Amino acid sequence: MDESWKRAKGVFAAVGIPPVFWLAAFFLIPMAIIWAYSFGENKNLVEISVNGTFANYAHAITPLYIGIIFKSFWYAVVTTALCLIVGFPVAVAITFASDKTKTWLLLLIMLPFWTNLLIRTYALMAVLRNEGFINQFLSLLWDGVSHLTALAGHPLPPFQPLPLLHNTFAVIFGLVYVQLPFMVLPLYAALDRLDRSLLEASLDLGAGHLTTFARVVTPLAMPGIVSGVVVTLIPSVGAYLTPDLLGGPSSLMIANIIERQFKTADNWPFGSALSFLLMYMTFLAIAVQAIVARNRRAAASEAAS
Amino acid sequence: MSELRIRDRTPPGPLEYLRRWPLRLWLAAVAVFLYAPLITLMVFSFNNSKRNIVWRGFTLDYYVAAFQDSDLIAAFGNSLTIAFISTVVSVALGALTAMLLWRFRFPGKTLFEGALSLPIVVPEICMGVAMLVFFTQIMPWPTSLPWPLNLGAIIISHISFSFSFVAIVIRARLASFNRELEEAARDLGAGEWRIFRDVILPHMTPGLVAGGLLAFTLSLDDFVITFFTSGPDTTTFPVKVYSMVRFSVTPEVNAASTILIVITVALTFIALRLQGNDVARNAAGG
Amino acid sequence: MKRGRSRRSLLAGLGAAAVGLSFTGLEGCSTKAPIGRNGEEAKLNVYNWDNYTGETTLADFKAATGVAVKMSLFSTNDELFSKLRSGNPGFDVIVPSNEYVTRMRISDMLTPLDLDKIPNRKNILPAFLNPDFDPGRHYSMPYTWLCQGIGYRKSKVDGVPDSWKWVMESDRYKGRIGLFSEADDLIELGAKYLGHSVRDIPYEMVDRIADMYIRQKPNVKIFHTDNGQDLLLSGDIDIVMDYNGDIARVMDEDPDLDFVVPKEGSILNSDCLCIPKGAPRPDNAHQFINFLLDAKNGAEIASTILYPTPNGAALALMPASYRDNPVIFPPADAIAKCEYAAFEGLKRAQFYDETLTRIFAS
Repeated sequence: MDESWKRAKGVFAAVGIPPVFWLAAFFLIPMAIIWAYSFGENKNLVEISVNGTFANYAHAITPLYIGIIFKSFWYAVVTTALCLIVGFPVAVAITFASDKTKTWLLLLIMLPFWTNLLIRTYALMAVLRNEGFINQFLSLLWDGVSHLTALAGHPLPPFQPLPLLHNTFAVIFGLVYVQLPFMVLPLYAALDRLDRSLLEASLDLGAGHLTTFARVVTPLAMPGIVSGVVVTLIPSVGAYLTPDLLGGPSSLMIANIIERQFKTADNWPFGSALSFLLMYMTFLAIAVQAIVARNRRAAASEAAS
Repeated sequence: MSELRIRDRTPPGPLEYLRRWPLRLWLAAVAVFLYAPLITLMVFSFNNSKRNIVWRGFTLDYYVAAFQDSDLIAAFGNSLTIAFISTVVSVALGALTAMLLWRFRFPGKTLFEGALSLPIVVPEICMGVAMLVFFTQIMPWPTSLPWPLNLGAIIISHISFSFSFVAIVIRARLASFNRELEEAARDLGAGEWRIFRDVILPHMTPGLVAGGLLAFTLSLDDFVITFFTSGPDTTTFPVKVYSMVRFSVTPEVNAASTILIVITVALTFIALRLQGNDVARNAAGG
Repeated sequence: MKRGRSRRSLLAGLGAAAVGLSFTGLEGCSTKAPIGRNGEEAKLNVYNWDNYTGETTLADFKAATGVAVKMSLFSTNDELFSKLRSGNPGFDVIVPSNEYVTRMRISDMLTPLDLDKIPNRKNILPAFLNPDFDPGRHYSMPYTWLCQGIGYRKSKVDGVPDSWKWVMESDRYKGRIGLFSEADDLIELGAKYLGHSVRDIPYEMVDRIADMYIRQKPNVKIFHTDNGQDLLLSGDIDIVMDYNGDIARVMDEDPDLDFVVPKEGSILNSDCLCIPKGAPRPDNAHQFINFLLDAKNGAEIASTILYPTPNGAALALMPASYRDNPVIFPPADAIAKCEYAAFEGLKRAQFYDETLTRIFAS
């Protein structure tokens, strides 16, 4: 259906040149500079000389930084798993709701996403800190129980607030909070396309709801699940603001380390090398997803033929 | 009418999950999880306490302070301006990209599509540091330029990561365009520009609107990339709030955040209204 | 098409509203300020630490010269340095600490001061006129000096914690300890604790210090960023590594707090006023620096921020409660064991930062 560019060269140039120019000048070139810097070193405090050295990458794969990279991945995996567990029932609820309710539910889930990330993270700080929502609630419960036990003569010791902020718990909590809408939407899109008669058939044949979901729905909705996982995993690995505001020093993620190199440690070549490592890992994840998707499609079309 | 009443009184069907209590409970819990922090934030913006830890009484003082904080208002003005300009250019570039990919076959098309997906995939921190380096080493952007030109570095950065998203949205819309209409117009003697303006553009418009809204939100919301490219006279709202969160956490931060939430919600509702009216009229065959 | 027109007009309306909003928004803070007598715009961008001017200082300056000051904040010297490293984004006056004056001077990031425009430099105490980080004071003027030490809450701490051991190597106050988050300070103070000078620390001593902090981490509640005193005041922590001026300020609000310079000695700093290269309004900048060095203005600042002042004329105007305050002016025998740190090269700075990353990540 699409025509060769030779047939309408004028139009081709008109529509083609601005985007290509912009992409090249204001995206590819900056990226290329960072790539070049990753092979450079600091000449002095403010200048960098690009001399093709691999020292930065060698430095990046030392145990200290590999550990942080793996920690970032681990946090992202836990976040994705939690989003999947929390989000799947939500997606199911939306899919099988009446049309009018459906719109409202989608809006309900998406509205926090439209809110500024900084504001959402700051709101979480107020919830998680020692005098925040959760601890106040627990403190009330504790006092209530303490009153009861005091009746029996053994009041409980004063409530010690749980340390919920500036640690790993807060970072994962924050990441799940931010990424949940990203997981729900692809799940919903996949579930919505399902043929309901298959589910009804499964239920008619005597399978319970859970079995139906495990054996019928999940395989059919797998592309959507994979899509949701990828869309949640990748931003979580490269998260900056959440670990910065909610995390403690032990929960530094790779994006925070990269920021340190540019803002505190004054080590741009090393920061560039770390940035590119992060990018290569991202590309790898996407490539894996693409290959998996292609294999499934191939298997499906083989089965169909 | 009576159908509804019958529906409510009959037991839930096998697939009517939302009518059963387990999913209702789950949904309610998730809603609390998502909204409680935001609502707490909004409530505490009225708190009459400088340190804003315990509720001490109702006051509008901090809203007054927020509206009188000239730095905050300037930052907000910057954010809106950047978002507006970025949206216009992103939509234009995105539309051109979509047209290019939809209409033409050319060598290197796959490569271009791959390059186009990079701004979406690349982690924000990587793009932030890349733009920082670009605007300091390669193309220093003079900060003494009059407003709004001094926002140029930030605007360019925002456009760079938005227009790929917009291109995807518009391309999806263009995919449903019937080329025969275009060919018919051409047969009738219309020139390229005429065809574009009167045949393709109207079909594309919902995509342009959706893409524009997306670009606007992405720009207004952006923190990481702007953090690396802003200066004292070119602060945006999220960057200013970040500085307030780090240095002086008073209810003024909550007040400013609440104002932004209200604006975002209002804009979203307006956008949905527009789309809803469209859908309704299309369905009615208008 | 009617619906197309109405939709488009609504969108146009929204767009116009957005532009209109932004224009009115900028009304409040237009970058076009009136031009002063010296030919420069009557405004000034200052990059400073938080809570580091007097209550009326900026208003007084505006009244005296007509120049409106916009203060931006940073919380560590590294933040200041990296913001200006690739070119001045528009700051006229900055406030780096001593070793960063060196860093910026050798990286050609500061403009030499026109000493004729700063007659109030005669107010400076002789001890601060020729420091080794800026001989002859051609690039900086002293603003404050300060001593690092331990702030603590008397009712929660046994006796006087006059050793770094209580924050660096003891679990006595487990979960109630606050430490600095700047690499240089942590490592140099660690060296002081181990009995070594803050300069030329051997690299294996740095590793030993890092291991000590890693062992101490479970007892540390937070590595604070210039807000240790607020956490002490609010009761989040009971003992903290901090600057004497910050602790003096919160002691004013809560008499249960106190400060001590540990017996192993500590670090002295001097925060200085500099004009970065490429400052858009150098003449206003000089006027501001001169204004801050004035006796009355210096006294106003000192009485608000409660940091020791290097301004002799201002010191003479201060009440005895300031001059005799042992927190603001630690006793001579404590000062004798303190030293100024110095910038010792990029490699060492990067090694310190990587050590800090190691401490954080373990």
